Amino acid sequence: MSYTAEAFQNEFLALGATEVNAIVTVTSSGAEGGRRTSGATEIIIVDASGSMQAEGRIAAARQAAKTAVESIDDGVHFAIIAGVSTAQQLFPAPGQLAVSSPDSRAEAVRSIDRLQASGGTAIGAWLLLAAQLFSQRPGDIAHAILLTDGENGERPGYLESVLDSIGGRFVCDSRGVGTNWKVSELRKIAEAMLGTVDIVAKPAGLAAAFQEMMTKAMGKTSGDVQLKVWTPVNSTVRFVKQVEPEVMDLTGKRVADGARAGRYPIGSWGSESRDYHVCIDVTSGAAGDEMLAARVSVVEGDDVLAQTLVRAVWTEDTALSTRINRQVAHYTGQAELADVIQAGIEARKAGDDRTATIKFGRAAQLAHETGNKQTEELLATVVDIEDAATGTVRLRRKVEAADEMALDTRSTKTVRVGRSNQ
Amino acid sequence: MTTTDCASCADERAAGVAFCEACGNKLTEDEPGPADTADTRSAPAPTAPASSADPKSCPHCGTADSVGADGYCENCGMLAARPRDHIEVDLAEVAAAVTDRGQRHHRNEDAMWLVGHPGYVDAVVSDGVSSSFDPDLASQVAADIAGAALGGDGSRKLTFLSPEQLAEMLAERLSGAIVQAGAAVAELAAGGDPRRAVSNPACTIVAATVRGQFVDVGWVGDSRAYWLPAEGPAEQLTEDDSWATHAIALGADPETAMRDPKAHAITAWLGADAGPVRPRTAGFTVTAPGHLVLCSDGLWNYLTDPARFAGTVRDALDGKSLLDAARQLAKFANAAGGADNITVVLIPVAPAHPEHTEYKE
Repeated sequence: MSYTAEAFQNEFLALGATEVNAIVTVTSSGAEGGRRTSGATEIIIVDASGSMQAEGRIAAARQAAKTAVESIDDGVHFAIIAGVSTAQQLFPAPGQLAVSSPDSRAEAVRSIDRLQASGGTAIGAWLLLAAQLFSQRPGDIAHAILLTDGENGERPGYLESVLDSIGGRFVCDSRGVGTNWKVSELRKIAEAMLGTVDIVAKPAGLAAAFQEMMTKAMGKTSGDVQLKVWTPVNSTVRFVKQVEPEVMDLTGKRVADGARAGRYPIGSWGSESRDYHVCIDVTSGAAGDEMLAARVSVVEGDDVLAQTLVRAVWTEDTALSTRINRQVAHYTGQAELADVIQAGIEARKAGDDRTATIKFGRAAQLAHETGNKQTEELLATVVDIEDAATGTVRLRRKVEAADEMALDTRSTKTVRVGRSNQ
Repeated sequence: MTTTDCASCADERAAGVAFCEACGNKLTEDEPGPADTADTRSAPAPTAPASSADPKSCPHCGTADSVGADGYCENCGMLAARPRDHIEVDLAEVAAAVTDRGQRHHRNEDAMWLVGHPGYVDAVVSDGVSSSFDPDLASQVAADIAGAALGGDGSRKLTFLSPEQLAEMLAERLSGAIVQAGAAVAELAAGGDPRRAVSNPACTIVAATVRGQFVDVGWVGDSRAYWLPAEGPAEQLTEDDSWATHAIALGADPETAMRDPKAHAITAWLGADAGPVRPRTAGFTVTAPGHLVLCSDGLWNYLTDPARFAGTVRDALDGKSLLDAARQLAKFANAAGGADNITVVLIPVAPAHPEHTEYKE
């Protein structure tokens, strides 16, 4: 498995400047022949609460779970959890993991037919059971799929405390079916578990969504990869954010590694490429001074897989220091885009149309400027965009709940800056 | 030497106008007083790695044994030194050259080439355009490619040439070497860091051949060659491809032109955006001993007056080895502010022995 790390930045700073920004692109070739460097465990969590009876959701969920099971590679450990008021293991026997084979998958598919919708939603308990099952296989690439259709029924704060205790132990991709679930709840899970969140508005779309998640999960060939950021004395990391394929703030996930370095979990990797925005506060240098502001490494355990340098060079030449780096500008815009969309949705819900119009207007402008067509299209379902360039929008009187939730969940999706014309 | 866009003239990059120097101000006023008005920052010591301390201790924060393999201090992050910060070439009596980072630039974007033996010297000085991307690579490639091309292909049959034939051949070779260097520098835009495609690596070049008493130079940009006779002012052999030179040629008052902020903007360079490279050449036959001096604007910016230039170089040469003289000139420019990278090559040239009227190449 080979990785590359490359920093994009304008290293030239005006005298007195102390903020260093860089976009670090991490690319992995994936393991040779797609072979994993470690074992893998997959857990499918299906909401089986009473509300799943509506709109034929439970039937669609059964079909989706079967599709997912059939996509599990031979040799991968797996389990299925039925989510009701408590967590119940649907397959295999409670407390155990099955080893994927044509026989075990067929058995799992048969067990899925027993899945009945009744009871409540207890996402914290479901995730806790998943974490217990994963703990049998330390070192595995651990991935879970979570499907729900409603708001969590556990006491307030319980889900958060569970996430605190299991965060980083496995990657969890969440999907909400219908429109009765809470985007903010699933986003919390995505952020804590380094996963994705998305809406599946119609139950008919579930099988395709599960298939896609499984294909991606099975493509992961290495597990717990981390970004290690070294900074010199008197310098601090202001933030580390994943900015592509979606925005994810990793700053709070820092685990100290010696006096001057910290590790940020970046999850499991297959053959793929992601971008990170690293922002460092340094002490200013004199004209002509060059400082290593950060040494960014991709690490797995003690192995350094790739490394790149973020530099700061102080110059009196304003032609150099005022140069705008395309990557940094692009992703700064994309991160702001996610923020203003979420702020716009909040304001609209609170009945503050004026703020909502301003936020969505700015969002339309940013989506347009950064070429994020998908987000622009999603925005157009919530507001009428009169002029994207100036950010002139009008709130739509009637907005489908599914459209607004899609905009909310996908607001963090970014597009990559065109590498050819930087 | 630096180029940038200017708000007052929309098309200058296309028109080839570019600014000079870190400050972008009237450099003619920056001329130093006597060398004892030295900048408070110390000039590099005359010998190569300046510090006598442990090379692995940090010159910035003083932490012992803290400089890592990549040259940065593991404590304060400061770059300890780059190999190109100060380079010397010593050909004893034949020639000497020094290139130095100066005081205000973070790296040395000048490069040089110097090879030779008595009566046969090839030299190149190239200065990377600071505002381009990877200018240090541009100048290095230009100096290496042009320098190698000056030596001929080695397989050439030795032929006896008349002075006229030799002059023509050397002019062609200098032009060819610079064009070849230009092509190599232009190619850099397509490889490596993609930012090179936007702000392609660019540089100036001045190349010289000394064959016995015959001195030939070729250039693009504002790196210069001077002939320094035993007495009197230095004679500039090159004519800068710069805004000021252009304006003066069109009739502008030289002093006013040199004080213009655009004075040092270069109008020709090597690089992907340079268009066709048309090197200019000049040559002459030495009739009395003197020195051929090649230098980047990091030196001549402080010595725009030919008489002062001559005086300063003669002082440096006085009783010293060529290398010490070159070091002394780098030190002079550093003491004067070291606003740019400094490169200087010194090549003594003497008239031919009366019996040698033909030259073998």
